[in-house]
Amino acid sequence: MSEAAEELLAVDALEFRYGERVAVAGATFSIRRGECFGLLGPNGAGKSTTIRCIAGLAPPHGGALRFSGGPFFPFERGDDRRRAGTVPQELALYGELTARENLAFFGRMSGLAGAPLRDAIARGLALAGLADRADDRVKSFSGGMKRRLNLAAGDLHDPELLLLDEPTAGVDPQSRNHLFESLGALKAAGKTLLYTTHYMEEAQRLCERVAIMDDGRVLAVGKPAELATAAGLPGADLEALFLHLTGKRLRDA
Amino acid sequence: MKTLPAALAIAAKDLRLFFRDRTGMALGFLLPLVLVGVFGFVMKIANGPTGGYSRASLWVVDLDRSEASRRFVAALREAETIDVRPAADAPPVDEASVRRELEDGEIHHALLVPSGFGAAIEKKELPQLRMLRDPDRAMEEQLISIGLMQAAIGALGPDFSEAFTTRMLEQAGLPKEWRERTTALTRVFAGGVRALFEEKEVAEQKGDAAGGATPAGTKDGAKDGAKPAFSMGDFLGQLVPVTHEEFRPPARPKQLSWTLAHTVSGIGVMMLMFGLMACATQLLREREEGVLPRLLLSPADRGAILWGKYLFALVIGALQLALLFAFGAVVFQVEVLRDPAAFLVVSAVVLLAVTAFGMLIAAWARTSKQAEGLSTLLILVMSALGGAWFPLQLFKDRLPAPVTWLMKATLTDWAIRSYQALFWDAKGLGDRSLLTNLAVLLGFTVAATALARRLFQKRYVETSGAP
Repeated sequence: MSEAAEELLAVDALEFRYGERVAVAGATFSIRRGECFGLLGPNGAGKSTTIRCIAGLAPPHGGALRFSGGPFFPFERGDDRRRAGTVPQELALYGELTARENLAFFGRMSGLAGAPLRDAIARGLALAGLADRADDRVKSFSGGMKRRLNLAAGDLHDPELLLLDEPTAGVDPQSRNHLFESLGALKAAGKTLLYTTHYMEEAQRLCERVAIMDDGRVLAVGKPAELATAAGLPGADLEALFLHLTGKRLRDA
Repeated sequence: MKTLPAALAIAAKDLRLFFRDRTGMALGFLLPLVLVGVFGFVMKIANGPTGGYSRASLWVVDLDRSEASRRFVAALREAETIDVRPAADAPPVDEASVRRELEDGEIHHALLVPSGFGAAIEKKELPQLRMLRDPDRAMEEQLISIGLMQAAIGALGPDFSEAFTTRMLEQAGLPKEWRERTTALTRVFAGGVRALFEEKEVAEQKGDAAGGATPAGTKDGAKDGAKPAFSMGDFLGQLVPVTHEEFRPPARPKQLSWTLAHTVSGIGVMMLMFGLMACATQLLREREEGVLPRLLLSPADRGAILWGKYLFALVIGALQLALLFAFGAVVFQVEVLRDPAAFLVVSAVVLLAVTAFGMLIAAWARTSKQAEGLSTLLILVMSALGGAWFPLQLFKDRLPAPVTWLMKATLTDWAIRSYQALFWDAKGLGDRSLLTNLAVLLGFTVAATALARRLFQKRYVETSGAP
């Protein structure tokens, strides 16, 4: 199978502005079906905005998105939004509802009902490792449990592409490990993942390919080892490559 | 860290946070000022500029058109507790039209000055008046009795003191012989008093009266001295011979008073607005808690989020209304289900309008603090101007035109009018004025919903759920 045939999502010269400020300036990359693709960059690089455009929260001001080779307008079209699931940085859950009730609600919002909804909830609870706490209110959960449920809610309708915006922020090593295992299971099941993180070792562990962004532009796209070689740093780890490409200047000072 | 520096640091931080949301802060400060202003204004209307008597509207039809009847109507206009309608410079009304208005519940008291009024005066007899009235408006009835007596004394003058005395004794149940004796004594006494007045008048003309204490019985003294007697409104009202003709919808429960029906409707609508605002601001809380973006990411139409909140608020509002009116029915005997279909339609329309109002505020506000500030301000002002706290509708004929327009711009006024049409005037869905009220409320609902949708699209969807 050729690389073009494997392409699931193509981001082509994507642009987005907040008023006069350019957040994404012609970002171009593509994600292959079944891979975990890392979108890396310092704070303010444009990663989250790129994910918002792909998820359908913000309409791009320029460029184009393609999904499975066809035009993709997630901001405008509900059916396009259904193809991607999002795990936001914030814990987007209702504390007063139980884990099961949260999943049921988000499942219904995704168009699930009846037996498919019940199956999805069971799958989500298992993914989050919360089957035995299914009927407890979310406000009684630890940060790690909420993060896991947050992931399960994003994957509930079994989307082809899962967008993960710093899903491990603020969790303990055990929960992080559980999240990695969950993501590994999703990948093994053929799910395509777009993963943003500040933790280079996470990207190194999970992602086959990465794109490194800075100032709204994509500086490099490819496998970490190939990128390191191309940058004249053969054998360097992802963190060294990242600092080499983006520099050591603080971006949010 | 010691207590004081820590407390100061916390207070400084809270002040900084408070002043950072400038719109919310401005609304918080504006609220008490607006409320004081509105209430001061309402009380001024209710109690008059000097804090004295309230006034009740009395429509007067002069069927006699004699000099004496004109003098009497002019005296009525001078009375402190009556607002005579039509105004002096407006065209007169006829008996048929006031009867129609009474039947429609648009007016509540009309006085007919019958033919022969002037002739009776010439014969030194107390003329018989006719009052067409809604018998359940007790508050206005008292004011009108007082004003009527005041006008009768003012217009008929001292020549009728004997006639008033006779009637008073008759009302008190004194036998005829005793009445005649007492009247004779009064006549002698009145002659003596009159002589004293004449003596004083002569003295004043000579300029001898300057600087002295004003004895009771001078013009001002008489006015002041008469006031305590006016508090006996019922008794004094009987001194002026009036026959009553009553206009009362047969379906109105006997134990229901206008103010009670008004209060149940007014407070019900106000509390409904507060309750539904709490529902509407859930949209803002979801945005502030970060859940809204996930809802916006779902494949469902984004408008469904707003409609979902509408439905939620409607259900909660329906429960609130059901509870409020059930309480009103059980405790205050407001017959809410006299016409179940009309009650359901009116309640549904009021609910839609109040929900649309809540959604409009929620869609406009950028923070829940702004929404709480603006909604509290608007709800309290609308409640005060719309008559939920004090029945301003009683004085609608006296309100300055801008206030009348402001009143008509409130949801509260239209909602209360609709409920009063049901509970008090015992009208049904075939009534034109009730249908007009409902049309106005529906018009507001459509306009507010359209604006809320637009604001939701602009402030929620296009900003990706971020405040």
